Amino acid sequence: MIPTMLGITALVFFSMALSPGGVAGPLLNQVSRLNTVDAKRVREYYEKRYGLDKPAYVQYARWLNLISPIGWRPNPDGSLGGFGFKWPSLGESLGRHRPVSDLIEEFLPVTLLLQAISIPFVYGFGFLAGITSARRRGSAYDNFVGVSQLASWSVPTIWAGVMLIGFLANRDYISLFPSSGLHEAEALNMAFFPHFTPQGWQRGWLLDCIWHLILPVVCLSYGGSAFLTKLMRGSVLENLSSDYVRTARAKGVPENFVLYRHVLRNSLLAMITVAASILPAMLGGSVVVESIFSIPGMGKLGVEAVENRDRELVLAITLIGGLIGLLSTIIRDVLYAMADPRVIYD
Amino acid sequence: MTETAVQTMAPSLANDVTGRTMRRWGARLGLTWIVLLVLLAVFAPFLANSRPLLLKSHGHWSSPAIENLTPADVIIQAVFWTTIILWKMPVSLRTKILIELAVLVSTTIGALVWVHPSELVIYETYRQDERAGNVEKVINAPIPFSPDDHQRDLEDAQLKPPDSAHWMGTTENSADLASNMIFATRIALSIGFISVSIAVVIGVIVGGLMGYFVGWVDLLGMRLVEIFDAVPTLLLLLCFIAFFPRNLYIMMAIIGLTGWVGYAYFVRGEFLSLRDRDFVQAARAAGIPLRSIIFRHMLLNGLTPVIVSASFGVASAILIESTLSFLGIGLVQESSWGALLEEALGVGGTFYWWIALYPGLAIFLTVFAYNLLGEALRDALDPKLR
Repeated sequence: MIPTMLGITALVFFSMALSPGGVAGPLLNQVSRLNTVDAKRVREYYEKRYGLDKPAYVQYARWLNLISPIGWRPNPDGSLGGFGFKWPSLGESLGRHRPVSDLIEEFLPVTLLLQAISIPFVYGFGFLAGITSARRRGSAYDNFVGVSQLASWSVPTIWAGVMLIGFLANRDYISLFPSSGLHEAEALNMAFFPHFTPQGWQRGWLLDCIWHLILPVVCLSYGGSAFLTKLMRGSVLENLSSDYVRTARAKGVPENFVLYRHVLRNSLLAMITVAASILPAMLGGSVVVESIFSIPGMGKLGVEAVENRDRELVLAITLIGGLIGLLSTIIRDVLYAMADPRVIYD
Repeated sequence: MTETAVQTMAPSLANDVTGRTMRRWGARLGLTWIVLLVLLAVFAPFLANSRPLLLKSHGHWSSPAIENLTPADVIIQAVFWTTIILWKMPVSLRTKILIELAVLVSTTIGALVWVHPSELVIYETYRQDERAGNVEKVINAPIPFSPDDHQRDLEDAQLKPPDSAHWMGTTENSADLASNMIFATRIALSIGFISVSIAVVIGVIVGGLMGYFVGWVDLLGMRLVEIFDAVPTLLLLLCFIAFFPRNLYIMMAIIGLTGWVGYAYFVRGEFLSLRDRDFVQAARAAGIPLRSIIFRHMLLNGLTPVIVSASFGVASAILIESTLSFLGIGLVQESSWGALLEEALGVGGTFYWWIALYPGLAIFLTVFAYNLLGEALRDALDPKLR
């Protein structure tokens, strides 16, 4: 697992270092608007402080030292202090001049909130539509679900987002939802729950948040639920034609019991298998959704960091993205072992 | 024995699968749409061009549209017509591919040497000449606007909803939307096809080596696969795209380089089950070179899942390109559906429905077509799954 993380960050770091302009290119270019003497001084300060004048592999080694709990303590001027245990750090963002860990702390919960709301929707819809269409195999309902899942799987998120904002959050058409952000400005002064005030009904912080999240969650979850519907249908059908179902039916087990006890449990395995690829895919999807709806999450931060070639921030985001990906693999393995007693990990 | 057997077996399987695929209405619809897009892409300069197709001025005929074809247009025309001529020719696939390649290379060299469209582009002159009555006869393209024609001679052509002059309206910089959409088919088709080809080639080689050699090659390869698999693809793409110059070819290479993991998985799995089969053992015992064992004997038997997932791969490559262009980090010079879609939400909460509807619909239909095709292919290749 650690070699994999090393590989991911090395891949991103060296592609950043090899690119024209190199690390922090756009940021150093901004400096050149100053007069020559000042620009030179600022540039030298940056280069010394972040080690930008060193070769790429030294910079990478320096970053590895920074994030490891054992190593040389970095001094504020860029030199290295004594060797020993230290507090791992993600460094400071070159563009925002703030510690990267602060930025992550601010932006990551928003993305996780989006995911935490969308994933139950995705799985719930996938389950229901998959089971019902597998039960009525070949019927008009099944065909309808089949075609519409393929169609909604093909709808690009960018189109769905633009159309939803354009028609449902627009003064000229239907102004039902807000078009951007996570809160209204006045939500900061609201109480948490909806309640009545002397001025009338107030929707409260929670409801304001939900109201802002409806469109992004729809955008984020329709593709995944279409994919899971198809998967669930295939898996249920495969199990329905297996030997143990024939045996159960032959000995007179009620049909509902066969479906919801025997088949459902076995079909769960397929749904768990894809969890490891659904989570990273939805993280990628949130980059798009956050950009369309201007939600201050990791995706938006990532696009900005990449555009500025903000070394520390890009590496930290890649690290976290990779960690979440690996974490979902582990979650998948654990769930798999829980759902299927035949699976034993050495 | 193997050579003749492979050559007679492979086409029959291909014919069988093609027949079974084409019996599905989804595949037919998908293929129809893709063929339509190919035609639009090939004949784009004759369908949407500010320069007249034929012009009679001061007594002599000329064709500004043909005179100003770019080298790329000439190459596309040559390859297209060669393909049409070769389609039903009774020659082997290998000869056809060789002829195609020869035509491609010779026209590329020829076009770059001899074809020089005028550097200075002033589209207004043709319209002004026509209005002033300087031309006796003129035949215009069905959409008489080039994608980068900003119509500076017309007042107030910016952001017009669809009407009789502009079938799909105009964009923010007064260009005709329909014309841009037609030229964008070129980007979508070429990105899908070439980036998936790159991904398939890398995936087949890496996966094949992993599945054939197992042991430490497999171990190393799997770590490489894990690295590419663990990072959200879009984030990896963002990094690569943002760090390198914005260029169609670099974009294709990057989408290909980040998309090979799935193919490597499939090929590895197939090879693991094939490597102990008798025919592979026999080939190895007969001393057939490794290249031949891997690509001739094993690959042809293990290609099925790769073909199916390549069809879905084209769909996702088109989606990726449009998403990147939408986020503003895609192509800058060429018109792309994603970049057009981005203009739909204007400043101050204005919404231009025609810019949202048509490019979005085009992306959706194209992705849908490739998905339908992939679905039909999968059902045809693996009836068990149905």
